[in-house]
Amino acid sequence: MTFWLTVAGMLAVTFGSRYAGLALQTELPDFWVRFLHFVPIAVFAALVTPSLEGDFGEGEIRAAGAGIATIVAWRTRNLGLAIGAGMLAFWALRWVT
Amino acid sequence: MELRADAAHGFTQGFRAMVPLWLGVVPFALAYAVLARDVGLSLVETQALSVLVFAGSAQFTAVGLFGTGAAAAEIVSTTFLLNVRHVLYGLSLGRQIPLRGWRRTTAAYFLTDEAFGVVAAREERTFSFLLGAELSLFVTWNLATLGGALVGSAITDPAEIGLDLIFPLAFLALLVPLVRTRVELVVAVASGVLAYALSEGLPGGLPVLVTGVAGSLLGALLTRGRPDDLHLEDAAREVA
Repeated sequence: MTFWLTVAGMLAVTFGSRYAGLALQTELPDFWVRFLHFVPIAVFAALVTPSLEGDFGEGEIRAAGAGIATIVAWRTRNLGLAIGAGMLAFWALRWVT
Repeated sequence: MELRADAAHGFTQGFRAMVPLWLGVVPFALAYAVLARDVGLSLVETQALSVLVFAGSAQFTAVGLFGTGAAAAEIVSTTFLLNVRHVLYGLSLGRQIPLRGWRRTTAAYFLTDEAFGVVAAREERTFSFLLGAELSLFVTWNLATLGGALVGSAITDPAEIGLDLIFPLAFLALLVPLVRTRVELVVAVASGVLAYALSEGLPGGLPVLVTGVAGSLLGALLTRGRPDDLHLEDAAREVA
């Protein structure tokens, strides 16, 4: 029973967070409009760096794969190509080192 | 109001826009399900978290806490910390796609980092596109959860072959097209450094929340009185 109570609580706080932003349809001051413009940039960058290093001491070749992915994303703006190129570079470097 | 044919087209476009991210979602969900079975959750309980909560990092963390015998209040509080960043996504999306009634409820239920990212990077901002992107991830996440829960302990850690690298690569590939001005580059680099430093000491999703607020504040302060430096409409470009 404790499990389902926990799940109910998790559902409440998760759905609440997801709903609250959509429900608050206010005209925001210019400062907050600019703030929101930077939210995806700040959040995506924050999702990249902590998980880049990995748990197996392969930080250098993982970073090299990320470098390749960045170049491909910059040149092609294609998500799948960028991920694929980054993974292939990582596996190739892992193979030769 | 969208016409039905337009809505179906938008839904399909949104669904397809998420396909590249399936590569990252599947191993993530498999790993979650294996971990959940490992700490003693049943098949139904493992699946219920994916259907009812549908938040990868929070599910992972919750399962880890179940394993240590944490109290319900502790698990729920941690989930809130991890997921309150969705308020920021909702505020951003709500400005671009006005939603009411069942549409707002539905869009909120299935909202994720990835769906927000793909919609924010697109010029097509309709409810049907958003819903297609959201359900694309929901279906994949839940099917992979089921697969992982069934196979259970037979799967070795996906991190061993480096598949966990797909997550930073995916968010990198979403980030790069958004960085078009010097201030945007400064915010991206500063946020990456801050999140890395914070992740040494803070639990799972908290560095993302703190950095999301701090990085956005930095950007807003640096562009004060310089509205021309922003491309508010076209800064978010097509990535997929």
